[in-house]
Amino acid sequence: MKKRIIVSTVIVVFALLTIVSYFMFQWLNDNQDIEDVIKQEFRSLGQYVENVYAIEYPDDDRALIFYSWSHPDFSNFGVMELEKTWRGWQFVEAISNRMERKNAWLKGVYAEIGDHAILRGPTWANVDKIEIITDDGREYIPDIGKSEWHMWYLILEDEPFEEATFILYDSDGEVLWEEVLQFDLNLLE
Amino acid sequence: MNLSLKYRVLMIVVFAIFIGVFLYYYGTKARQEQAVAEELREYSYIAREYALDAIYKSTEFPVEVELYPSAHTEAILERWKAISDRYPELDYPEAAIEARDWIEVHKSFEDTDLLNGVIRKMYKDATVTSEGLGVSYITLLDYIFYQKYEASNIEDVVIDLGIEPSREEE
Repeated sequence: MKKRIIVSTVIVVFALLTIVSYFMFQWLNDNQDIEDVIKQEFRSLGQYVENVYAIEYPDDDRALIFYSWSHPDFSNFGVMELEKTWRGWQFVEAISNRMERKNAWLKGVYAEIGDHAILRGPTWANVDKIEIITDDGREYIPDIGKSEWHMWYLILEDEPFEEATFILYDSDGEVLWEEVLQFDLNLLE
Repeated sequence: MNLSLKYRVLMIVVFAIFIGVFLYYYGTKARQEQAVAEELREYSYIAREYALDAIYKSTEFPVEVELYPSAHTEAILERWKAISDRYPELDYPEAAIEARDWIEVHKSFEDTDLLNGVIRKMYKDATVTSEGLGVSYITLLDYIFYQKYEASNIEDVVIDLGIEPSREEE
């Protein structure tokens, strides 16, 4: 009889501990600050002195971080994907492209990261809006993130394109510049 | 306690083995993490210096990083090759560059005495004085990697040596 009580007590305590630790884990996971995770990931990538331009959540369990790094010019433009797992936010992949803004209104590259096709690049502070028009008539308005520089980015939902016209507007809606950019779809995948 | 001595010894031995395995596992893991961090730092350093595009596929053991040259990398290599053509003691490792083994490529810049020798020769051949300018191998590296002319008169030297076109031609 005594033995049975001891065994049942041990089982109950063990079960309670498991349940409590599960919920604590969940709570810690839900309250994990993604910015702390991002900082930690930059440290492990050895990409010091970085600027974050935007954090996008294409799905509930995915985050895309747009950033540039390397002092003093911050000319390495990166995108990093994180995935939310049972262990919290975890690194999936990161792509860094060197783009110097010298003598250019804007630059841009195409990259595939995880399941996402992304176009992005630096532009100038006086560019308020960008309109992208592809040869087959598709139109996009990319977001513009602001930090050390300004970075435009577009998470493509449909087919990628090799060439498109970029129209740059200032805050008064005046056209600043128009340029055709070409993208190498095979370089980074 | 009515446990026999045999059981006590057995328990201690099992416990000691458990602790030993635990310590070994964490010791190995800590060393591995340190090696991974160093490797990633090296990749990022090389990516920055050579203006490379980089894809980080795994930041855990085993580390998986792919490096690709960008348009700016080509410019760095061109400046490097132009100097190496004239001063062959500055190695231009064509095979490693072709193979995109950037960590191997960077070994050409390890010997600072050699680099100091090259920059001194450049100044001598160009008959441009470096007096009071604190010219050293850093001047050479700044020129090759960043095309940085400031804090020295290296621009006059490379123009004089025909490594770069004169300002009027541009």
